[in-house]
Amino acid sequence: MKSGGSIIISFISLLFVQVILSGLVDFGPLVFIAVFPLFVMTLPINTSLNGLLIWAFIMGLAADYFTNSIMGLNSSALLIMALVQPQIFKAVSRKGDLENQIRPGMAQMGPAKFALYVLILLTVHHIFFSLAESLGFTHFIYNLPRLLVSLAVNTLLILIAEYGLFYKLRR
Amino acid sequence: MWGRSPILRGLATIILFLALEVVSILFIANDSVFQRVKISGAAMYLKSGVSSVTSDIRYYFWLKEHNEVLLRENQRLKEQLAIYRTKGEMADTLEGFLPTTPDFTYIPAKIISNSTNKLNNFIIINRGSRHGVKKDMGVITPEGVVGVISSVSDNYAYIISFLNINQSVSARIEPSGAFGPLIWEGRSSDYATLAEVPYHIKVSVGDTVFTSGFSTIYPPDVPLGTIRRSTVIRGSHHKFQVKLFQNFGSLRYVSVVVNNKKDELNQFLKENEVRR
Repeated sequence: MKSGGSIIISFISLLFVQVILSGLVDFGPLVFIAVFPLFVMTLPINTSLNGLLIWAFIMGLAADYFTNSIMGLNSSALLIMALVQPQIFKAVSRKGDLENQIRPGMAQMGPAKFALYVLILLTVHHIFFSLAESLGFTHFIYNLPRLLVSLAVNTLLILIAEYGLFYKLRR
Repeated sequence: MWGRSPILRGLATIILFLALEVVSILFIANDSVFQRVKISGAAMYLKSGVSSVTSDIRYYFWLKEHNEVLLRENQRLKEQLAIYRTKGEMADTLEGFLPTTPDFTYIPAKIISNSTNKLNNFIIINRGSRHGVKKDMGVITPEGVVGVISSVSDNYAYIISFLNINQSVSARIEPSGAFGPLIWEGRSSDYATLAEVPYHIKVSVGDTVFTSGFSTIYPPDVPLGTIRRSTVIRGSHHKFQVKLFQNFGSLRYVSVVVNNKKDELNQFLKENEVRR
């Protein structure tokens, strides 16, 4: 149950970071903060796709609930992100990474590849978040600046969080 | 055997994904129901505890600005008091003709949770049904409108912020007297849009926008903002960009508007509808 415990710790700590950041940092409506996808991104590789989906759903709902967002908004986007995650991981990582690594983090994949992995998955998350938020394509072009700015900010935040929380410890 | 076949496992995953996704979308669609659940009980207590810590920290950094707002309001109230004093002396002779209850009374409240960075923003205040707050009441500050109460628990109320793409406020432009709906378009929390003003009405940049008082939610003459820019829509209508007075990021104290004549007015409307 060692990995189970660390999953719970990472779940709670990222949820806490998310609540604090979205409560304290306010850049206006142009930016929404989303740090919690890092939790789903760094679930152990041997987690089944079903497990990924269930974790994504729980994390999404918890994030929605504690940040006063619309319930279901983050969970629907995070589910789609979890669905494509194994494919993205396979495409980004080297072959050897799959067998002997447990957690797809910055220390295991290398900073450059990890950044690419985060960026692709966050793009998927943000596109579907934006679609779910305005419920349709009508506002999509209109929301594009919001999407791009948020994407840049969140990628940076996630890389900082990953570097600060996990990268240094493993080296 | 079930677990071994890759097709069946793939199918199970797809079904799980679709099921969870449908649940999420149902959550989004029924959000108002869940907010009512969210408001109640221990969860609300926990959430407001977390929110009040973060809002306390934010509040500290806005202290100076709050002081200025209070000073300005004080000044305005002093001026009004002077006017009423002189009027009061006159009114002694007209006693009995004056209405006994004012149209609007106010419940002061403190914000414990506020968001400005979403397309559907919400606010939680520390006044609830115990203090006389009810659903569909308006919430204002001296600087403008804040929103409408969406649900109420004993000690807390949940406000749909004006910063919500589904909200609109009936507004009037002074000095021309033109009116139209003021809506927030989801871009910056400092600006809103006033549309549907006929083209022939003369409006200049810098004119002040007030609430019109055409609804039972907000009192008339609450200042909202000033006209910044105008565009003409299809040659027949103005569309104005309005710079809001209200700084939603630094909101701390608000007043809940109690319309004392609301029931009477609604009753009156209903009677007339029946007659027609």
